[in-house]
Amino acid sequence: MGLKLLKTKLGKIELETPIIMASGTFGYGLEKVDFIDIKKIGAITTKTITFSPWKGNPQPRIYETYSGMINSIGLQNPGVFYFVKNILPEIRKKYKKVFVSITDKTEKKLLEIVKIISKEKVDAIELNLSCPNFEKKRKMISQDPDLTYKVIKMVKNETHIPLIAKISPNVTDIKEIAIACEKGGADILSLINTVKGLRIDFKKMKVIDGGLSGPCIKPIGLKCVYDVYKVVNIPIIGIGGIVKGMDALEYIMLGATAIGIGSGFFNNPNIIDDVYFTLIKYLKENRYETIENIIGLLNEKC
Amino acid sequence: MENKICKIKINEKLEDVHYLMEFENNFKENFLPGNFVHIKIENNFLRRPFSVCKVNKNSIIIIYKVVGEGTEKLSKKKKNEYIDVIAPCGNSFPLFKNKKIAIIGGGTGIAPLIFLSEKLKNNKNEIDFFYGVKNKRFIFFNILPVRINFIFSTEDGSFGKKGDIFDVFKNFKDNYDLIYASGPKELLKKVSSFSEKIPVYISLENYMACGMGLCYGCVVKIKQGDDWTYKRVCKDGPVFNAKEIIWD
Repeated sequence: MGLKLLKTKLGKIELETPIIMASGTFGYGLEKVDFIDIKKIGAITTKTITFSPWKGNPQPRIYETYSGMINSIGLQNPGVFYFVKNILPEIRKKYKKVFVSITDKTEKKLLEIVKIISKEKVDAIELNLSCPNFEKKRKMISQDPDLTYKVIKMVKNETHIPLIAKISPNVTDIKEIAIACEKGGADILSLINTVKGLRIDFKKMKVIDGGLSGPCIKPIGLKCVYDVYKVVNIPIIGIGGIVKGMDALEYIMLGATAIGIGSGFFNNPNIIDDVYFTLIKYLKENRYETIENIIGLLNEKC
Repeated sequence: MENKICKIKINEKLEDVHYLMEFENNFKENFLPGNFVHIKIENNFLRRPFSVCKVNKNSIIIIYKVVGEGTEKLSKKKKNEYIDVIAPCGNSFPLFKNKKIAIIGGGTGIAPLIFLSEKLKNNKNEIDFFYGVKNKRFIFFNILPVRINFIFSTEDGSFGKKGDIFDVFKNFKDNYDLIYASGPKELLKKVSSFSEKIPVYISLENYMACGMGLCYGCVVKIKQGDDWTYKRVCKDGPVFNAKEIIWD
């Protein structure tokens, strides 16, 4: 009964539940975390993969803040060749749906990764458009609508796999970027990535710069989903600050077809069950037949 | 690795900012020396990691130092209150038999070494445990294992030998088969210099986010052929072969 209620479709991708493990906070899904029920996860998004191995940033990489954390991991990963050969087959064995997050600093490398991943059995490619310094432009791809359109179109031409565009909230108007993604051919939108932030480490007298996540960014994520839902016709994965079941419900009612769990999992390891049972309870109590009945319930298309 | 709510049996000040907490052991998995527990702090986003100091059938003991907001809050927890714990986390010290072993610890860093030495002494090892602190007040005699040869040092000479525990160890003319160490980074760096000659296993500390190997937030530079890579202290560690570590 529960599973039927929560079935949802991200474009052509059929999910058993709308619960997606977001990129970067769940590794490659292979760590032995016994207390979670994998059956309740609709899809896993891998940690971002680049063409060559990336070593990542020096320590410190994480800092706690009020109601959240700042990270600057620097996309440490073993590169696409190692990933495809040694990691992806293991992920496939464990999860029903696998989304592979990718990025790189040049068009050439990005296309190489897309070609390699497209030969594999992957349910979606998530393009992390928050990689800084793309083609030495000193900004993220998703901070420029024209560049966003161009990169997505280029990638889309190279693959038959559904394409998710993950975009940054650090822009003047996120609607403009989301529209560029849709026009470029993105099948799904993931929003939001981390919010830029910093803090001072007084012991080391250093400025710690990075991406803010956790409950403190939930209102920003909700507002982005609310605004973007109105102006696009592709499905949205709502991400940002989900630490309990009701947070997920908020994203869905504002227009998210699925939700991504990020660093909230560190704080509440029970979050998968929490989201799962909260959604079922709400749907049953209010006599909805499927979760699809409440997507965007408190929002409307323009 | 499990996630449990554990009842606090004891949470008391040992000295100054040093505390001991004993809580209910309701974990199915066995704990090994070197493992840590990841404890949720009320109204803080991230958990805090603590090395396991002792494991009894029904309880787990940690010793910790109040260094910030998280440990401050933890120190205020009362007996019979509950904590949310993810454990056992991380890898463990490799164990040997019939060896002559030096264990070197500084400050509250000795916590995992206490658990370790209890295990090692049952394996017919000959153990010298070098334990250095600032002042006699910070030697917590009650939690030290019995039937182990301790060599103490204090910075001010208030107990045992005066000075740095590493210097005491260095001047202790004996041939060891291997070394285990835990404590301040400077001490571990110095102990690591012995890893050219004999195996040296050390337990590292770091700020952690997930504690489960998921986020790559708590890394250390590790040699890899002619190159190096960042490994996770929470999952690939906290115990590392000192020979592999690149100290910054």
